[in-house]
Amino acid sequence: MTLLFGIGVLMWRGANRNLVIGLWVLALVAMLGLFRYHVTSALDLSF
Amino acid sequence: MSGRGAWGLIPFWGLHAWILGYSGVMLSAFYIQFGKGEFPCPLCMLQRYGMFLSTLGALFVVMQARRGVLTTSRYAQGLGMGLIGALAGASVSVRQIALHITPGDPGYGEPVFGLHLYTWAFITFTIVMIFCGVMLMLAPKSIPVAPAAASVPRHLSTAIVWVFLAVAAANVVAIIVLEGFAWVLPDDPSSYHLVDQLTG
Repeated sequence: MTLLFGIGVLMWRGANRNLVIGLWVLALVAMLGLFRYHVTSALDLSF
Repeated sequence: MSGRGAWGLIPFWGLHAWILGYSGVMLSAFYIQFGKGEFPCPLCMLQRYGMFLSTLGALFVVMQARRGVLTTSRYAQGLGMGLIGALAGASVSVRQIALHITPGDPGYGEPVFGLHLYTWAFITFTIVMIFCGVMLMLAPKSIPVAPAAASVPRHLSTAIVWVFLAVAAANVVAIIVLEGFAWVLPDDPSSYHLVDQLTG
């Protein structure tokens, strides 16, 4: 969430477009990682 | 402003409606979290995450339009970010809906207008995906045009962006208080971990 807020601030301040998109992709990967963890941790499933 | 008039302004304010809409959803989630005392589960937080991820696509387009540097490719990049973010969020919503789909399952949390929050989240993600699809179909005619600098609509645009950033900052604080000194949330949270950890 901190990363997402940081990306929002960078957009507001007009930071480099590639930096913003790169960080956004990083945030997406982090979200998918967390999703995978929370989907598989409790039920001990594997996909 | 270019001579495209309303054709540029409608998508511009449509993107603001998206930003403001999700800010409102997030504030409502805060009301349910703090006002009604319901703790958000990890999947609930991931759906908020998806909403932010998606809204950053709208913010990307708005900020480029305000600076007058928005091109067709940048417009497509922003809407693509919004679309992928909404798809990621919708995946989490579907997962949570599926968890509580069996007959007799009361679901997680109190329903709002007959539906649980994760079902509402799925509906909003679907609306965002349709919006992105339609805007992409109408491009380049749908490329937003920002109102003139120092005008009232421009100040309104600034206020909406600030509301979104303030809501995002509040979520950073909320998740730190909920999660405490840990990388992930507990599966079924029943207290604010940072408070527990600090008070022993």
